[in-house]
Amino acid sequence: MINFEEELKKFHPSLEVEGAEDAIYNQDLTDMADLLVKMIKESEEMAEEE
Amino acid sequence: MFCYNCGRQLSEHDFCTSCGVDVSLYKKIMCASNLYYNEGLEKAEVRDLAGAITSLRQSLKFNKNNVEARNLLGLVYYEMGEVVSALSEWVISKNLRPEKNIADDYINRLQSNSGRLDAVNQTIKKYNQAYTYCLQGSKDLAIIQLKKVLSLNSRYVRARQLLALLYIDSEQWEKAERELKKCLEIDRNNTLTLRYLKEVENVLLPDETVKQTTKRKKDEPIRYISDNEMIIQPVSVREPKNSGVATLVNLGIGLIIGLAVTYFLLVPSAESNARNEAQKQITEISNQSDAKTARIQELENENKRLTQDRELLQNNQDINDERLKAYDDLLAMASDYLANKNNDNAAAELERITTEVQLGEYSEGFEAFCDTLLKEIGPELSKKYYEEAYESFRKEEYGAAIEMFRKAIYYNPQNEDAYYFLARAYQKSEDTEKAIEAYKQFMEDFPNSPKVLNREIERYLLELGATVD
Repeated sequence: MINFEEELKKFHPSLEVEGAEDAIYNQDLTDMADLLVKMIKESEEMAEEE
Repeated sequence: MFCYNCGRQLSEHDFCTSCGVDVSLYKKIMCASNLYYNEGLEKAEVRDLAGAITSLRQSLKFNKNNVEARNLLGLVYYEMGEVVSALSEWVISKNLRPEKNIADDYINRLQSNSGRLDAVNQTIKKYNQAYTYCLQGSKDLAIIQLKKVLSLNSRYVRARQLLALLYIDSEQWEKAERELKKCLEIDRNNTLTLRYLKEVENVLLPDETVKQTTKRKKDEPIRYISDNEMIIQPVSVREPKNSGVATLVNLGIGLIIGLAVTYFLLVPSAESNARNEAQKQITEISNQSDAKTARIQELENENKRLTQDRELLQNNQDINDERLKAYDDLLAMASDYLANKNNDNAAAELERITTEVQLGEYSEGFEAFCDTLLKEIGPELSKKYYEEAYESFRKEEYGAAIEMFRKAIYYNPQNEDAYYFLARAYQKSEDTEKAIEAYKQFMEDFPNSPKVLNREIERYLLELGATVD
């Protein structure tokens, strides 16, 4: 049986045009490739230190 | 595919041929991103929009620079009514690849029509308002607001899902089902939509399955649910067979009712109409009568005025005739006098004319002509009256003498003797007042007369008891 209150929590307000700019700037664009490059660089730095 | 370290084009090897770094993992990540993009594209092609969003977001988690995946994600958002989310994806895509990017075209199309963008924003605001109503418990207001939202943007899946949820909450199952099916037409594999639809069908289907599987008893009423209401169709009742007599009786009753209706409803109405028509005619005739009466009165007044004018003209004509006659008489008299030099006839005629007419009412020419004739004939006429008057005076007929002396003075004011004997006649007839007046007038008009100079007049005045200046 559907519980209205619980289902309502799954909805959220839509993004308005005025708030689009902030949403774009605040979007986290970090991807797996960034993480990989970061990990490789960190591992290389650790190897150099050792 | 380019090397993450030096940016050169990668080959089929697991290392960069330029800088030598190991790119095997990097290549797998890029391949995974492309794999998810392909999956998202396939789902979008079969209208599994929610699934496409999941795959495309996954693709972007592996490679944020996958512009094709980002553009497609924007398109899917746009199709589901999430216009601002679509715009955000396209703007990021354009920043990642400024040139030769289809996102640029999408953005331009949206921004070139400012009215369309305003409408989109209004739709989103209304949806957010409806969501706030839901949180506040104002479900009816939320339904109204969501209907407005969907009238503006019928492809707004999230708004339609919320509306379906509200219908489910208020147990309007058919409406909820209708909305959810429309959701499925846009997004065919949306988990939320499918779950709600399953719930709705669980409520609606049992009755339908029962209807199909079990045979309904003939005497039981038909029951079904519509918009949260149980509809009960009444059992069909067959009317008993009527006999021929009953039919005739019913026909008779119907005929009587019809006649009664005609008598009580139609006849009074017809009478009323006839009365109204008659009243209307009476009013019209009355108006015509009033108009004719007014016309008659007007004509009577006109007749009266014309009669007065005619009488006035008649009077004027009489006066003119009288004057014309006076002119004719005067001219005839003058003609006779000039032809015959008969003073007696002329004097008699002139006297008649001057006594009959009022000289002031005639023209100046007529008066001047009379004066001229009087001066011509007057002395002779005056002499004649004087002689007659003197004869009467001598016979002591003072009344006739006074009358003649007055005429003699009228026709010749310079007749001194006439004045003298007029005063004497007044004295002899014992009219003292007029005698005094006549004596004084004589003294004033003829101061050089011997009768004045020898004090004869003064003596008469003293006799009469008058004072002499």
